[in-house]
Amino acid sequence: MSNSTSVKQAGKNSNSAKIIKVLIIAGICAVIVFAAYALLFMPLGNPPAWIASVRQAFFASAFWIDFENNFITDDRYMYIVKGLGVTFEVTFFAVLLGIVLGVIVALVRSSYDTLKEELKGGFGKAVLYFFYKLCGIYLTVIRGTPVVVQLMIIYFVIFASSNNKILVAVLAFGINSGAYVAEIIRGGIMSVDKGQFEAGRSLGFGYVRTMAFIIVPQAFKTVLPALANEFIVLIKETSVSGYVGLQELTKGGDIIRSRTYSAFMPLIAVAIIYLVIVMFFSWLVSLLERRLKNSER
Amino acid sequence: MSADNNVIISVKDLKKYYNGGEVKALDGVTTDIKKGEVVVVIGPSGSGKSTFLRSLNLLERPTGGSITFEGRDIMAPSTDINKLRQKMGMVFQHFNLFPHLTILRNMTIAPMKLNGLSKEEAEKKALALLERVGLADRAGAYPSQLSGGQKQRIAIVRALAMDPEVMLFDEPTSALDPEMVGEVLEVMKHLAEAGMTMVCVTHEMGFAREVGTRVIFMDCGKIIEENTPEQIFTNPQNDRLKSFLEKVL
Repeated sequence: MSNSTSVKQAGKNSNSAKIIKVLIIAGICAVIVFAAYALLFMPLGNPPAWIASVRQAFFASAFWIDFENNFITDDRYMYIVKGLGVTFEVTFFAVLLGIVLGVIVALVRSSYDTLKEELKGGFGKAVLYFFYKLCGIYLTVIRGTPVVVQLMIIYFVIFASSNNKILVAVLAFGINSGAYVAEIIRGGIMSVDKGQFEAGRSLGFGYVRTMAFIIVPQAFKTVLPALANEFIVLIKETSVSGYVGLQELTKGGDIIRSRTYSAFMPLIAVAIIYLVIVMFFSWLVSLLERRLKNSER
Repeated sequence: MSADNNVIISVKDLKKYYNGGEVKALDGVTTDIKKGEVVVVIGPSGSGKSTFLRSLNLLERPTGGSITFEGRDIMAPSTDINKLRQKMGMVFQHFNLFPHLTILRNMTIAPMKLNGLSKEEAEKKALALLERVGLADRAGAYPSQLSGGQKQRIAIVRALAMDPEVMLFDEPTSALDPEMVGEVLEVMKHLAEAGMTMVCVTHEMGFAREVGTRVIFMDCGKIIEENTPEQIFTNPQNDRLKSFLEKVL
């Protein structure tokens, strides 16, 4: 008893150390930003001479003029803010759809592989075989065509009569991601030792419960890094939504560029935002991975 | 003898072919296992002894023949194989403990989910079983923190937690370091003394001789000779058995 709790404790401690480290870095960044803000923008009745000269130099610099033109004038930063919201919305629902589809397809495909001997012919096997083949076609088609093409087909062909661009993007990216998630999860299920499955069955668990209690929890641990990677890819992939006119983050930056004819600021800003999101997400996953590791080794 | 209602598993002409009959893992095995018997299956590797054992709870699907458990044909479509497996505990060569669960959870998951035991009842039972094999203090550990011998003892009591009628052992000591074989055989011996019906595939000839009530020698998917341990080891009839014993003893 004491052994395992001490191991858990150690895991938690190192995690909290990681969290504290990041919080300290975030705090330092906040202080720097606030100091810069105070130095440049805070209304001071009669600022000291050196602050006044810093401000004068800053507001006359090419950097600030470009910045103001791209983000402040006409509230252009709102393209970025609103675009970011749309990117989050599309990614969130596409991830959910991708997981649901991926798990279903993975289970259908691995069930057929394991159960084809047990189900000797009959109706059940025919139904399972049908869905097995259907899932195979889904995987081949989705993984064999570019996501931009899929997005445009869904928007211009399948949903030609609807103008709900967010729904179209969620469907396109969710369906696309589902195919990759399915193969990741199937790989995880297959990587669990066959003996685990036999042990579950020999205790009297049926196929479904063996999967639910024994195989899937173990598979989840192995696939977590690959799954996290898939979602990071998905966040970035939503940047092609501009093809159907959806104003997400990338499109927002691009609209600013087309207004101001200045490409550097808006595109670099968009890139930095993606980078920060991805780094933050990767960090969260590393925390989760560490927690899950505690029971293994 | 033939109308003995003490027979718990009856195997008739069991066949298991691979590649459409090219490889005959089991080629007509017939035997009865009675209540309280400790049947030890020996034989060279590839003789079909593991396949035979794994067929008894249908981890392998036989190609032909029949198996009845407590008078019921286990291969009949109407038989609920999951219910049946609850009465047949199985111990594997590679332990197959669930690495993501603690020892206690390994032992309580099946009784709780399948027999409807409450958490308290299941844990009480599991702890009593752990006490029996001297591992009560490891209840909260994970399998990776145990030695091979400890893992196998846990695997045995995990199966016992389901109150099986029969215990099947598939080379339970073959994956162990030599110094850990004794502790596992000790547990199996106590189990046999307590009257458990057991079928053991093993290479431990000492165990077969000491604990077994009957020894089955298999080769090429067939039962070549079956007799009491004393007869098998001191008075083998078949040449193949003789040469096998010469090599292993």
